[in-house]
This record gives sequence, C-alpha cells and structure tokens, in this order.
Amino acid sequence: MDIQSYISSGKLELFLLGELTEREREEVIDFAKRYPEIQQELDDLQETMFAFDNMTGVAPSQEVKEKIFSTLESDFILKEVPKPTAVPADAKVVPIGSPWKPFAIAASIAAIVASGAAFYYAGKYEERNDQFTALLQDQSVMADNLNQVKQEYDQKDSQLDKMIAGDFKRVVMKGEGFDMQKDARVDVLWDQNAQEVFIAVNNLNDLSDEFDYQLWAIGDDGPVGIGLVNSGEKLTLQQMEAVAQAGAFAITIEPKGGSKAPTLEKLVVLGEVA
Amino acid sequence: MEEVQLIAGLRAKDRKTTEYLYDKYSRALFAVISRIVFDKDIAEEVFHDAFVKITKKIDHYEESKGRLYTWMANICRNSAIDKLRSKEISQSGKTNTIDDFVYGMESQSGTQEHIDGIGVKELLIELNEDQKFIVEYIYFKGYTHSEVSEEFDIPLGTVKSRVRAAIQVLKKNVARI
Repeated sequence: MDIQSYISSGKLELFLLGELTEREREEVIDFAKRYPEIQQELDDLQETMFAFDNMTGVAPSQEVKEKIFSTLESDFILKEVPKPTAVPADAKVVPIGSPWKPFAIAASIAAIVASGAAFYYAGKYEERNDQFTALLQDQSVMADNLNQVKQEYDQKDSQLDKMIAGDFKRVVMKGEGFDMQKDARVDVLWDQNAQEVFIAVNNLNDLSDEFDYQLWAIGDDGPVGIGLVNSGEKLTLQQMEAVAQAGAFAITIEPKGGSKAPTLEKLVVLGEVA
Repeated sequence: MEEVQLIAGLRAKDRKTTEYLYDKYSRALFAVISRIVFDKDIAEEVFHDAFVKITKKIDHYEESKGRLYTWMANICRNSAIDKLRSKEISQSGKTNTIDDFVYGMESQSGTQEHIDGIGVKELLIELNEDQKFIVEYIYFKGYTHSEVSEEFDIPLGTVKSRVRAAIQVLKKNVARI
C-alpha cells in the first residue's frame, strides 16, 4: 500500500472530524496500528486541531463553570476507604472425604478434554484471523483502486462539462502533404472565448525516448508552443495551454522537452482554422 | 497528568480530575462551539450540556478511536451543529464567517482574557480562498464534507484534499506562532 498517498488523501482529517462511515473508521484504526507513519500523522493532526482551538478560543465564563460543577455534584464519588470485613473465626473447613473421589476424577478428565478443544479452536482462530487480515488487505487495495477510478471519473466529468458548456471548434490536423507520417491525424478542440484547447490523438506513431511531439498555435505573431502531445493516449482529451488567437495548429517532432521554435523539416500534421 | 490517568480519574467520577479536565480543555472546547454558535449565551448553554455529556459518557470513549480531546471536540461540534439547526437559532438568521469570528475576537479582547488577536488573524488569513472557504464551512458553519460537496458542486475528492491542505496550513502556522 502507498502510505503517503493514503495520508495525503484527506481521510485522516475526516476520521478526526468524525465524518467517516463505520467501515472506513475501522480501516483507519487498523492502518494506524500497522503503519507507524499513519499513527504519527494522526497524532500530529490532533495536536494541531487542539492547538488551533486553544489558540483561537476564549474561556467560558466563571458562571458556566459553577453551573457545570453544580450539575455534576451528585455524580462525584467521594473517596472513602472501605472498611475491611473480617473473616469469621468459626469458618468451617470441609475435609475432602472419599465420596468426592469419583467426582474429582471425572472433573480432571473433563478438564483435559476441554484443554484439547481449546488448543484445537485456538488453531482454527489463528487460521481465520489470517484470512481476515488478508481480506482487509484486499479491501484496502480495492478501495485504492476505486479512489483512482473516482478521480479519473471526476476529471472526465469536468471535461465533459466543458465540452457541453463551451463553444468548441474542431480543427482537424492531417499528415497528408508532408513527408513524415502521411496517415497521421490529430484533432484540436478549441474554445476561442474560453481560450481552452484540447487535443485528441487519432493516429500518431510512437517516438523514441529522445523526442517529443509538440503542438503549435500559429497566429499573427508566428508559432507559439502550447504543450507536448502524448502519442500513446489515443482518442482521449489532453488539455493544452490557453490560446486566444490562431489561424492554424500544427505538430512537429522536437528534441525531448520541446523547443522554443518549431523544426519545420519535421512538421507532422497541420490543420487550418476554418 | 497523563491522558491514561485522566481517563481513569474521569471513569472513577473523581472531582479533582474533572476540574483538571475543565481547566485544561474548556477554552479549546468552548472555541469549537462558539465558532459555530455565535450567540455567547446560547454557546455557553451548549457548552454546559456538552461538558456534562462528556463526563457522563466517558465510559463510551474508546482510546483506539483517537485522543480524548478529539472525542470531546466532536461531541461539542455535534452539539453545536444540532443547536444551530434547531429552529431556535435558525430563526435569528445569524451566519458565521471567519471575518465575523476574527472581528468578534478582537472586540472581546478588552473584556475577556487577553488573546493574541493578531496571531489568530494571521493563522486564518494565510489560507488561500479555497482553503478559507473549506475552513469556513466545515469549522464555522458545521457542514460535513459531503454537504459541502453537494451544495457547492465540488467533487468529493477535491473537498477532501482541500480539507487536508487547509489543516496543513493551520499546522504550519500553529507551529510558527
């Protein structure tokens, strides 16, 4: 498990604010026992919360204190030393006579059987406990995965919102007419009012490690680099830097990390804004 | 007094221990309540009931679920939220903001015990807008994180990470002041 990302998820803060469900709470308690870093973080957070409250607080009035203690008065238990009760001197000791013998033997046998059973069930318990721990681990892995999926979902959801709410123009960039990759195609989605640019890679060859694809917005002031393109992520939206004005978009191959000005010999695709 | 002794003393209904608890924590616990319930008289009434509840329910406190203070603070916070949402207060229409709180602190500092009002202000003002918003709603208005998420259309994950970021800023400031 990635302890740091668990700590930074914000779950521990919610735990302390009493806002988790019973199951999530158990999980935090369990992890705190197993991972000292998590326990440490909980301790630090509690220190902070107390210090913050204490520093920002004003003491309640003296009247409230008096009222509270008078309400509690009847609850306080006065410490009295209990009188020792004497053992009566004439207590009788019953001697164990022969009539008890068979019962004593029977009791011993029962005790031996019970011990055997206890060992047997102790073993079973151990086994179940291990299974339970394994299940808890599985569950935490699943919770992590779910968290990741949720974050991806949130991201897609906000992209979709933008697509629906915005006024996006589609600019198709093609490789026809250039020597690099004839069948390359990348779509630019551009909301001129919000200045937002997304791209979706349709077809683009993979590059070796020392090169990157770089997107250019070509406007009145010449080409401006607005981000690197991930050729591996096909048909998903990649957000690029903001553009207010452009007559065309183009992608070139540049040394890793991108360049200040485009290498025109390595122009891959170009699309004009209609 | 160690926390273990303190808890044992409270469970034994010992008067001295209860007084110690009061002296050590009443200011912080009252802060938790009075930033949600702005009216001082009502806040004191809530504090009275919450403190009595704490001493009566001490047997329900479980060490594994956090420090004693955290447990007590949650009782106070919940009592304050219950009061705030009861008709009694909602009719008066008061809402708390961080600015009210800081301003309120300053105006009280003459009559109440001395407080480093400037420090408090700094403590809160270092937060950025997002964090300030989160602290305001969760600490001062008693919202849960899911209520903030629903009402203001902020993804739950984002609320969580902002809660964390805000508390991290407070942590840094608390250590500095």
